[in-house]
Amino acid sequence: MSLMKAPENTPVWTNEANCKACDICVAVCPAGVLAMRPDPHSVLGAMITVIAPEDCIGCNECELSCPDFAIYVADKKEYKFAKLSDQAKERAKKIAENNYMQLGA
Amino acid sequence: MAFNYDEYLRTDKMPTLWCWGCGDGVILKAFIRAIDKLGIKKDDMCVVSGIGCSGRFSSYIDCNTVHTTHGRTVAYATGIKMANPDKHVFCIAGDGDGLAIGGNHTIHGCRRNIDINLILINNFIYGLTNSQTSPTTPQGMWTVTMKRGNIDPTFDACKLAEGAGASFIAREKVTEPRKLEKIFVEAFKHKGFSFIDVFSNCHINLGRKNKMGSAMENLDWIDQITVSKKKYDAMSEEERKGLFPTGVLKKDEEAREYTEMYEKVKEAWQNNTKVEL
Amino acid sequence: MSKREVISSGNDLAARAAVDAGCKFFGGYPITPSSEVMHTISDLLPKIGGACMQMEDEIAGICAAIGASMSGVRSMTATSGPGISLKAENIGLAFIAEVPLVIVNVMRGGPSTGLPTRVQQGDVLQAKNPTHGDVKSIVLCPGNLSECYTETVRAFNLADRFMQPVFVLLDETLGHMHAKAELPSLQEVEEGIKLRREFVGDPADYRPYDVPQDEPAILNPMFKGYRYHYTGLHHGPTGFPTEDAEVCDRLIKRLFNKVDAHTDEIESYEEYLLDDAEYLVIAYGSTSLAAREAVNRLREEGVKIGMFRPITLFPSPDKKMKELQERFGNKVYMAELNMGQYVEAFERATGMHRDEFVTHFKANGRPISPADMVAKIKEELL
Repeated sequence: MSLMKAPENTPVWTNEANCKACDICVAVCPAGVLAMRPDPHSVLGAMITVIAPEDCIGCNECELSCPDFAIYVADKKEYKFAKLSDQAKERAKKIAENNYMQLGA
Repeated sequence: MAFNYDEYLRTDKMPTLWCWGCGDGVILKAFIRAIDKLGIKKDDMCVVSGIGCSGRFSSYIDCNTVHTTHGRTVAYATGIKMANPDKHVFCIAGDGDGLAIGGNHTIHGCRRNIDINLILINNFIYGLTNSQTSPTTPQGMWTVTMKRGNIDPTFDACKLAEGAGASFIAREKVTEPRKLEKIFVEAFKHKGFSFIDVFSNCHINLGRKNKMGSAMENLDWIDQITVSKKKYDAMSEEERKGLFPTGVLKKDEEAREYTEMYEKVKEAWQNNTKVEL
Repeated sequence: MSKREVISSGNDLAARAAVDAGCKFFGGYPITPSSEVMHTISDLLPKIGGACMQMEDEIAGICAAIGASMSGVRSMTATSGPGISLKAENIGLAFIAEVPLVIVNVMRGGPSTGLPTRVQQGDVLQAKNPTHGDVKSIVLCPGNLSECYTETVRAFNLADRFMQPVFVLLDETLGHMHAKAELPSLQEVEEGIKLRREFVGDPADYRPYDVPQDEPAILNPMFKGYRYHYTGLHHGPTGFPTEDAEVCDRLIKRLFNKVDAHTDEIESYEEYLLDDAEYLVIAYGSTSLAAREAVNRLREEGVKIGMFRPITLFPSPDKKMKELQERFGNKVYMAELNMGQYVEAFERATGMHRDEFVTHFKANGRPISPADMVAKIKEELL
């Protein structure tokens, strides 16, 4: 299998050069780990941000659903991911209700 | 460690030219993971695409790639495969590309059961040319050529492939990237014509005027019109209305593959005998 | 190397020539009067490990042939006028992507379905401009059975030399004519094969379309470690699409210039009894068979007449035609089985108008007989 080296001690990381701000990764994240932040330099005015890495459960949905090679998730063998908490689920819901934008932004 | 897509990508072509959230990218990634899983070498494969947004697919994969004319992917691929029967040949076509202008080649690729993998990226619209009705556009939807609602009856691409004789037929959707990868693996392993109808989103040119202008709204609609084959099989005719089954719909491993049959033609000519069927 | 003598037809000889020239793939579709090319080659190719595919339509026929050629094998398609019309778009792809391909067109009566079983030379200008956009076509036109063979062989070598489609224009008369033909030895044909160039350096340095402005692209066979991209879009040195004005300009100019700069390698014609001639006959293809006979008959009557027969129709032998026109003035007779398609090339080369010399056109599906020609020449030329 073709593998790339993950940044140290990081559950999920992004490649902003590839991100087109489609919101899909944020929408599929069950743990509210991801959100869009306002970004005047992006075509759609937003950019992906990892807002709560500590809550990432390593489900990989964001990476698999990202059409643009813009988000990656660490290997389960190399990183100890969190368990899905109620607090994280609640944040995910609020982010979705906030049009996938970062809360309070 | 994480999966390294870059190994299979022409990274200097990134980011892709596709719109934000376009399912084409999800299919490209699932395709790459399937190739990697099967251990197919980049020098042993050829990706042939047609015209439309899906036509760009070939330019992003670091292998032998051909961006052909509108609808002709399977015809080009047939020549490539016949001249190189031991290589892996993949076709990428859109619903307009593979079912309208290139429908004849799709039919006859299926009929010959030649070992080509056709991924039909089915987004229900002509996306690149801005929202004209495609053979899979649902009736009633707005298109730029049917602004009062499309009246054209729609194709069930998998039924077409079955009628034409493809030996592997599957349908999957971009909202299930894991399943999509699994189906690609199974299809690519299959010897014979593999037809994979992949439901994908075009929230820009299908969605915007049909109340699903964001990627997620369009993807939710795709989830609403699909159901697993297992569930579909258990449904009544009435319940099935408007739904498409997903999963492997047909797999016939007995069907004879065309390049293998053509080897028999060669033998028959060389030995002055008749083809053994 | 001794010559071979065979009894065969033009269509059959074109197919045999292809196989002798190293063709390994044929994609086609049945159409009168060219089907026999496919009939013969469908027997020959599997015998030598190649493949002949009768595809689902004319378009698929040429697409499969281009696909096979892209992968690195010599490849051919054959058809008649309506088939060329259908193949037009993909002929364009072979031009812009620089894919070598031999296209045999056995001309029948047109336009449209026209006169399927009868002869015409009505596709001459179509062969010159066979697709939308600007292309520089190479068109070879055999004038007898032997040339149906030798010109098809030459077409394969030219296709690989210039990396583009090359047309072999037969017509119904030649295609179906069955007679004795003298062919070069197989050894001579095989020794004359010049395959397309290949890049042999490090794949990282490979830029298939990064070539001098008078040379074709260097397109390696697929599956050999040189992974690159074919496209029908305008493309840059690496083969990937671009709309850069300068790059597009260089590409389209190179596609013309690679042929224009080397017409000496392509031009081919016959001069028959021209040394002492006072009158000039111009004819090509099957019409030249009748014209030769007409010249012979008139010579027997003491008329000093000779024939110029272009074999490469395009690029047209402009310099030669101008030279001839200057020598013969308006004592020129030109015959063709259409409404004056190649006369256009002569007019362009010489600056003469067709009213200033004698033209003999026929496009009703019937050949012009030597007697017709003699009568017309006596009436209007002498």
